[in-house]
Amino acid sequence: MRVPVSWLREFVTLPPDARAIADRLAMLGFPVAEIERRPTITGVITGRIADLQKHPNADRLQVAQVDVGADAPLTIATAATNVTAGQTIAVATIGAQLPGLTIAPRTMRGVASQGMMISAEELALPGDWFEDGIMQLESSCALGADVVDLFGLETAVLDVEITTNRPDAMSIIGLARELAASYGTGLRLPQIVNPGRAAEPPGEEPNVLIESQDCYRFVCQRIDGVRVAPAPAWMRVRLALSGQRPIDNLVDVSNYVMLETGQPLHFYDARAIHGGRLIVRSAHDGENIVTLDGVTRTLSPAALVIADDERALCLAGLMGGAVSEVGPTTTAIVLEAANFNGARIRRMSNALALRTEASARHEKSLAPALTDLGAARAAALLWDLGATVYQPHAFGGPVTRAAAIALKVADVQRLLGLSLHAQQIERHLTALGCEVDRVEPEVLAVTPPAWRCDLAIAADLIEEVARIEGYERIPVVVPSVAPHEISSGAFALESRIAGALEGLGYREIITQSLRDAGSVEVRNPLSEEQRFLRDSLVPGIVEYLAENASPARIFETGEVFRDEQGGLVEESLLTFGFSADPLDEPPWRDSHFLALKGDCERLLRKITGRDAETKRGTQSGFHPGKTALVTLDEREVAHLGRIDPRLAKAADLQRPAYLCVVNIASLPAYETPHYRVPSKYPSTYRDVALVIGVDVAARDVERAIVATLGSLCTDATVFDEYRGPQIGQGCKSLAARMTLQRFDATITDEEADQAVSLLLDALRKEFGAEIRT
Amino acid sequence: MTELASRLDDVAQRFDAAVDRANDEQALESVRVAYLGRNGEVTTVRRAIGTLAHNERPAAGKLINDAVAAMERRLQAAYEELESRSFDAELATSIDVTFPSIRRPAGSIHPVRRIIEESCAYFVRHGFAVVIGAEVEPDYYNFDALNIPNDHPAREGFDSFWISDTLLLRPHTSPMQIRTMQEHRPPIAIVAPGKCFRRDAVDARHLFQFHQVEGLLVAEGIHFAHLKGMLTGLCRELFGEQQNVRFRPSYFPFTEPSAEVDTTCPKCKGAGTLKSSPMGCNMCGGSGWIELGGAGMVHPNVLREVGYDPDRYSGWAFGFGVERLGLARYEVDDIRRFTKSDPGFLAQLS
Ligand SMILES: [Zn+2]
Repeated sequence: MRVPVSWLREFVTLPPDARAIADRLAMLGFPVAEIERRPTITGVITGRIADLQKHPNADRLQVAQVDVGADAPLTIATAATNVTAGQTIAVATIGAQLPGLTIAPRTMRGVASQGMMISAEELALPGDWFEDGIMQLESSCALGADVVDLFGLETAVLDVEITTNRPDAMSIIGLARELAASYGTGLRLPQIVNPGRAAEPPGEEPNVLIESQDCYRFVCQRIDGVRVAPAPAWMRVRLALSGQRPIDNLVDVSNYVMLETGQPLHFYDARAIHGGRLIVRSAHDGENIVTLDGVTRTLSPAALVIADDERALCLAGLMGGAVSEVGPTTTAIVLEAANFNGARIRRMSNALALRTEASARHEKSLAPALTDLGAARAAALLWDLGATVYQPHAFGGPVTRAAAIALKVADVQRLLGLSLHAQQIERHLTALGCEVDRVEPEVLAVTPPAWRCDLAIAADLIEEVARIEGYERIPVVVPSVAPHEISSGAFALESRIAGALEGLGYREIITQSLRDAGSVEVRNPLSEEQRFLRDSLVPGIVEYLAENASPARIFETGEVFRDEQGGLVEESLLTFGFSADPLDEPPWRDSHFLALKGDCERLLRKITGRDAETKRGTQSGFHPGKTALVTLDEREVAHLGRIDPRLAKAADLQRPAYLCVVNIASLPAYETPHYRVPSKYPSTYRDVALVIGVDVAARDVERAIVATLGSLCTDATVFDEYRGPQIGQGCKSLAARMTLQRFDATITDEEADQAVSLLLDALRKEFGAEIRT
Repeated sequence: MTELASRLDDVAQRFDAAVDRANDEQALESVRVAYLGRNGEVTTVRRAIGTLAHNERPAAGKLINDAVAAMERRLQAAYEELESRSFDAELATSIDVTFPSIRRPAGSIHPVRRIIEESCAYFVRHGFAVVIGAEVEPDYYNFDALNIPNDHPAREGFDSFWISDTLLLRPHTSPMQIRTMQEHRPPIAIVAPGKCFRRDAVDARHLFQFHQVEGLLVAEGIHFAHLKGMLTGLCRELFGEQQNVRFRPSYFPFTEPSAEVDTTCPKCKGAGTLKSSPMGCNMCGGSGWIELGGAGMVHPNVLREVGYDPDRYSGWAFGFGVERLGLARYEVDDIRRFTKSDPGFLAQLS
C-alpha cells in the first residue's frame, strides 16, 4: 500500500526522516518495500487570477494579474488555455525550484513575467491524472500559501507491506495508530460524526434485504444534491500520491475514505435501484452483470451480488455494475458501507480473476464496526461538497463488543522471556485501543478495539505487547535442551551416502522433481513439461549429462513417486554414475562398467559394513547385456549398468553413460565389521587357466573355488579373461588365482598342488572346464 | 714366501686397476667376485699357503688377510664413491613444480546439502534431532494441523501443487513438525530439512522447487528469547561471529507471536553500500539486511491439535529457505544456479 507520509502526519507526530519512519514501521510488522522520495519543490504558492488580458504582442499568450496575498499582484504571461479570471491556481514565483527547472524573471514578447502558473505535472504528479494545463485549486485556499506544504508534496511516499491478518492497517488511520502507539505520542483522529440526521423524503428511504449469511452488516445512506465534478485539489493530490487515479468527486470520495479508514464503499445512482430496495443475495446461475470495467461477467451461485428487484447491480465487495454507475447526470446516490465474509469474497475474486482495492480489504474480513465509520466519513465529505445527507440506516447484525481476553502477566514472561510489569503491558495495549481492566493483581481483562478482529487469545495480546515494547528488547538466550528419543537416523544415512560418494569423486546435483513423464500427475502444473512427479532420477541425470559437454561423475538423492493401485508410493533413491568416452576394448569387456561396480561395492561396504554381490539382470532403460542387480544379504538393493544406447541417443548423450540406482530404504543397517586374526603361517598361491562356456559367470568360478577348497583357500579371484579364435566358439578363457594358507602350519607345495588338482577335477565336473597350463 | 708376496702384490695392483675401471655397482660386484669371491684370485693365492713351510704360514696368512682387508676397504670406498656420485646425479635433477597437477576426479556435495548439514550440525550440538520425511503430504499436515483451515487467507501464501483433493507437494517442511509432535511427547527438539514446492514464477530470487530448514523446540519454559538465542547462533555459525540478527513482527497462522528473521548482509556487512557499486549493495538492496525466513512461538491451536496443553508447554518454530541462505553465503547472483548444478558452479563452491 502506498502511504504518503504527509497523510500520516495529519494524524500522528512523526520524526522528519522518512527512513526512520520506515524502520519503525518494519519493526512494528509492516515492512516498507520502497521509500519513494519526492523531488524538492520551493517557491510555489497559491494565487488568484485577478485579471486576465490578451497579450498585446502575441495571439497565443495571455497576461494575468495574480493576487498572491501580497501588496501587489504578480504579472504573469501564460500560454495556457484553461485559465480564466477568478480561478485559484498554483504559481511558481521568481526563484522557485521545480524538478529540472528554476524560475527566473523573463520577458515574454515584451511583457515582464514575474513567475509561472503551473500544472500538476510540474509538481511531479502524474500529468495525465489531472486536468490539461494549469492545475485548478479551490477558492477556499488562502492566497500566498505554500503549495508544497498545503498538499504535502515534498514528503516521501512509503510502499508498506501489510500482513493478511491486519486489514485494519490497510488504511492511513490504521498505520497512524500503530505509529502513535509505538512512538508513545497521541493519535489525532478527527471526530468523525455522520452529518446525516434528517429523514429522507417519503418513499426514498433506502431499504436493504440481506438474504445471504455472508453479509454481516450493511450501512446505507441516501445522499441528494450531488453534482459530478472534479474533487477538491487536496483530495486529488492525496489520491494521486497514494497511487489512485482521481476520477470525479464521487468516485474520489469513496476511494479517499477507503484509503483513510480502510472501509471500501460503493455509491449507487439512486435512479438505477428499481423497486427501491437493495438485496444481498447469491447470484443466479448464469446471471450476467456488466461491471464498471466494461466486462460482461457470467456468474454462478458462488458469487455474492447486491441486486435490486430485477437485476444484479454490484459484485459484493469487488466491483460495481455499469447499470448503477454514477455519472454526469447523477443527482442522488445511495451509499453502501458493507461487511462481508472474507472467504466468500476471496473465492469470488479468485473465480472471477478480478482483484480490486476493495476486494483486497474485504477478503481479509474487515471489522463490522468499520462500516459505520466509513459511511460517516463519506457522508461528511459529501456534506462538505454541498450535498444533502440523510440519516444512515444499518442492516444486518449489530456491532457487538468483543469478549474480554484474560491475560496473565506471567504468561508474557513465559512466552517472551522478557519480564514486564502489569502497568507496562496495560500501557502498550491501551495505546493500541484495547480496554484493559485489572481483574486480579496479575491478571488483566483485555477487550480488543472494535477494529481488531485478529485479537482473540492471550498469545495475540502478547505479540501486541512485544511489538510495542519492541522485539529488540527481548533478550538472547541459548536454551538447554532436555534429552529425548527422537532419531536422526534417516538424515544421517543420507549424509553418509553423500559423503561417501564425494570421497569416490562424484559431484552432487539437484534436478527437477516435476517432469514431463511419470505416473503421478499434478493437477495444477506450471507447464506441460512439469505435469508429472518423477518416478526415477535417471531421466534428470541423463539430461544433465547430455547438457554438459565434458564427461561428468555425478550423483543425486531424491524422492520418486509412483501410483500403485490408486495409492501414492514415495521412495528415496540414490542415483550415481558417469559419462565417459568409450575405451578400446573387445565387445565382451567394459571397464567403465567394472569401475562403476567397484564404486558401488565401495559405497555399500562403507554404508552398510557388508560386501555386495552382483548378478546379471535387466532393467528398463539399461543395456540388456550390461546391467547387474546388486544384493546385500540376498536382498536386492540396487541395479547398475550402461544406459541403453537407444535411450542415450534419444537424449542426445554424446558418450556412453553408466548409472547405479540404489533404493535407500532397502539398505540394511550398518554392521560393525569384526577383526579376524590372520594365520601366522605364510601363504602360497596357485594360478589356473580354464576354458569354459562364455555364459559361466566369473563370480561363480570364484565361488566354486572357495567352496571346493574350504578353509584352505583364503581368497579366489578371477584376474583375466580372454576370448578369441584360439579358444573356440562359445568359450572363453579365465585365469584365476587362489591364495592358500593353513592356520596350524606352513602349507607345503605338495599340499597346495594336491588341492589344485582336486579343484580342477571339481571345476571340470561343475563347468565342463578345460584346464590350460 | 716372497713369491707369494709378489703374487699378492700383482693381484692387488690388478684389483686396484679393475676397481678404478668399474663405474657402476654391477661392475664393482664383478670385480669383487673375481678377486674376493669363493673362486677369486685371492683364494687362489691363499691356496698356495699349503705349499709353504709351517713356520711361514702364519706370516703368509696375515699378509693375505691384510691384503684382503685393504681390498675390501678399497671396494667399500669405491661403493661409497659410486653411491655418492649417483645421489649427486639424482640431486642435480629438478622439475617445474608449478606444472599443472594431475587431479583425481573431484567429488563434492551440493552447496544446498552443505548448508543443511552445517545448520543441522549446529542444532545437533545443542541437543536437537534431525528428521526428514515425505514430500507429498495430505493437506491436514500441511495446513489444517498448522492452524490454517480451509478458506484461511494464508493458504494463498502457499500456492501449492496439488495431486488430489487432499494430497499436495509440501510447500514447507512443517508436516514433519506435526508428525514428530504426534509421535513423541515433549521435549521436542528437531530440525527438519528438505525439499519444498510452491507455484512461484521462477526468477533470480524465486524457485518453485527449493529447500527449507525448519526447527521446532517444544518443552516447558521455552520462550522467544530462546528462539533469538538459537537463531543468532545459527547465523554466526553460517556467516561468522560478527553476524547480527534482527527479529521483526510478522504474521503466520501457526505461530503467535510471529517474526521475520533478518541477518546482517554478509556482502556489505550491514552498510547497505559497496565501494565497488555506487548503486548500493545488490545483495541486500541497500537495506543492510538479508531476509532469512519466518519464526515464532508455536500457536496454542497447533499445540492443542497434537494433544499438548498450551498452558503447560510452549515452543518455537522457524523456517528458513536454504537457497536464500546460499545466495547470501556464497554471494551468488541468481538463485537458479542452485538448481542448474552447473559443473563450474559446483566446483567453485566445493
Ligand atoms: Zn548488502
